[in-house]
Amino acid sequence: MAVRPKILVIEDDRKMSAALVAGLEAAGYDVVAANSAEEGFFLVHRMHPDLLLLDLTLPQRNGLDILKQIREEGIDVRVLILTSHNTVEDRVAGLTTGADDYMGKPFSFPELMARIDALLRRFLPSAPVRAIQIGDLDIDTRTRVATRHGEKLDLTQREFDLLLYLAENNGRTVSREMLARDVWRETSRYTPIDNVIDVQVARLRRKMDDPFTVKLLQTVRGLGFSLREPQP
Amino acid sequence: MSLLRPANLRSRLTLWYVAVLAVLLLVYAALVFTFQYGVLTRQLAHDEVQDIVTVEGLLYFDTSGSLQLHQDYFSRPQSHVLVDRLMEVRDLDGNILYRSATLHDMPLGGPNRKAEGDTGFDERVVRLQDGTHVFLVSHIHVLQGHVLLIRLGYSLKPLRIRMMQFLLLLLVAIPLALVLAGAAGQMIARKALRPLDRMAIRAGSMTANNLSDRLEVPNPNDELGQMAKVFNHLLDRLEQAFSQLQRFTADAAHELRTPLAALRTVGEVALEREHDEEAYRDALGNILEETQRLSQTIDSLLLLARAETTQPGEQQTIFAVSELTQEILELLSIVIEEKRVTVIEENDRPGRAMVKADRSLLRVAILNVLHNALKFSPPASVLRITYTYDEAQPETMRIAFQDAGPGIAAGDTERVFERFFTSASPHTATQSGTGLGLSITRLIVNRSGGEIYFDPQMDAGARCVIVLPTVIGA
Repeated sequence: MAVRPKILVIEDDRKMSAALVAGLEAAGYDVVAANSAEEGFFLVHRMHPDLLLLDLTLPQRNGLDILKQIREEGIDVRVLILTSHNTVEDRVAGLTTGADDYMGKPFSFPELMARIDALLRRFLPSAPVRAIQIGDLDIDTRTRVATRHGEKLDLTQREFDLLLYLAENNGRTVSREMLARDVWRETSRYTPIDNVIDVQVARLRRKMDDPFTVKLLQTVRGLGFSLREPQP
Repeated sequence: MSLLRPANLRSRLTLWYVAVLAVLLLVYAALVFTFQYGVLTRQLAHDEVQDIVTVEGLLYFDTSGSLQLHQDYFSRPQSHVLVDRLMEVRDLDGNILYRSATLHDMPLGGPNRKAEGDTGFDERVVRLQDGTHVFLVSHIHVLQGHVLLIRLGYSLKPLRIRMMQFLLLLLVAIPLALVLAGAAGQMIARKALRPLDRMAIRAGSMTANNLSDRLEVPNPNDELGQMAKVFNHLLDRLEQAFSQLQRFTADAAHELRTPLAALRTVGEVALEREHDEEAYRDALGNILEETQRLSQTIDSLLLLARAETTQPGEQQTIFAVSELTQEILELLSIVIEEKRVTVIEENDRPGRAMVKADRSLLRVAILNVLHNALKFSPPASVLRITYTYDEAQPETMRIAFQDAGPGIAAGDTERVFERFFTSASPHTATQSGTGLGLSITRLIVNRSGGEIYFDPQMDAGARCVIVLPTVIGA
């Protein structure tokens, strides 16, 4: 990557802000944090970030206010709102004011990473991937066939979807909430399907990892799952 | 506030009462007046006819051929001045044959009318030259070969004076009666409504701090007593809801504190001395798991709040419950397979059971029930789902979910629906969730117009029954 994408975090909670900065920097972004709306607004003009992570409840000035002004001035920046105000109405208000995405606190960090990637990719859409390769695992997205070591895996529809989703996330950890929403298409946050996901992942593991010595599907305790070659 | 639309109920009631009474009294007075006038007029006519008959016997032609009236029946010579009878006798050509002195030479009733008095006694009212109204009776009488028309009348003046006096009396008496009735009405209304004032003062002083106060019920059978009772019932429900809310807040704080305590302890133990990386990883994972539990508890509390504020009718659609259950079984199929549980569905009337509800909420409810049933089902057991329709109640259906798990202790079948209830039973201790699932489920089912309960008669496994109102023919 020639130029690292710049991210501005406007968040008044210092702990949250520090954690976000550390996490994003570790992921290879150029990150600057602002603790107030005014400072954030100043930095938007100074550093021209590619992406803005915006908390809505800021001292003195509301986050939506800043967003409105940014959009009125026609500044080209992707905006992801992070807030604990998480009703449908809040979401609608945020998105109609000009946010590109909206995440309710508490969110999972892997999911935040996935959304940031999606937002930054949005303007340079890559051609749909035909094949994904992770170690000796090959996935053909068109024929929907997965092989390991040249050996075809006998997967159900859902197992393939799950594998593909994990593979598309390119080694990043995927949380259960993400799986519930994107693979199982559960819109309600209240639906208790964590054990469904766990059982499904266990089955997938039985089919694609158990017969082989190299294990690709990792469980990250407290976070979720990732599909990657184990570090030596 | 105008005079005709007073603000207080008391005066309004009195005003209406007086107005109605006034109308009634006026109608009554008019009727009495008319009736009285009629009766007196009839009496006058009757007297005049009697008088004519008497007079006919007293008329005679004297030697000169002029008509005379015997006066000698008067006991005293001056008695005849007391007689106020007006009389005129004519022949058929209209010539005056006799005229009483009381007429003072004024004609009584003008020229002869056609067939006047021919067939009997004709009555009419005439006006004399001096303006007096006279009630007149005419009669044909034959005396010594002469056909005579006798006209006899009395002045209406005394009758009218009497009627005027009667009218005057009524006009004075009616307003007097109305004033008295108004005053009495106002007093009675004030007395009857006095408990209302007391209730208003009492209710006005009630706040969340003295919700246990009640209105006094003056007389449980009258309207105000009824109202006080209804109001007290409202207070009962409010107080109950309020104390439930207080208990819930306390429980919620407790429930949130438990994972917080775990978070803190795990963090503190991890930091207390040096550990290897694996131990730190474990501690962090542990902490993240606890935060997820916290997060779920908060989401569940929000869902409860949402279900509680949902008005019936909002977001409702019509759908088949069996399809919804199928969809959920499909979602859970992997868990069912893994546990080797056999699901048996019995539906003797598939397709007929349409319900009207918020589908996404009801989905959460049924998912919770099925999830529980599966969670407690031992491996390789049977989960039976039965749809039944009661002929006697065609507007409802029952769905029973029966598992082969450890079941629910006899005393707990109601308590499991309480918020944050966790069973003391050793079978379930390791499987506790947020403790809100069944409360949410019950709230949703109730909001959909249905009921949910655990069959208390089960001795093996648990049987959860959901009763839902159906939409027939939709």
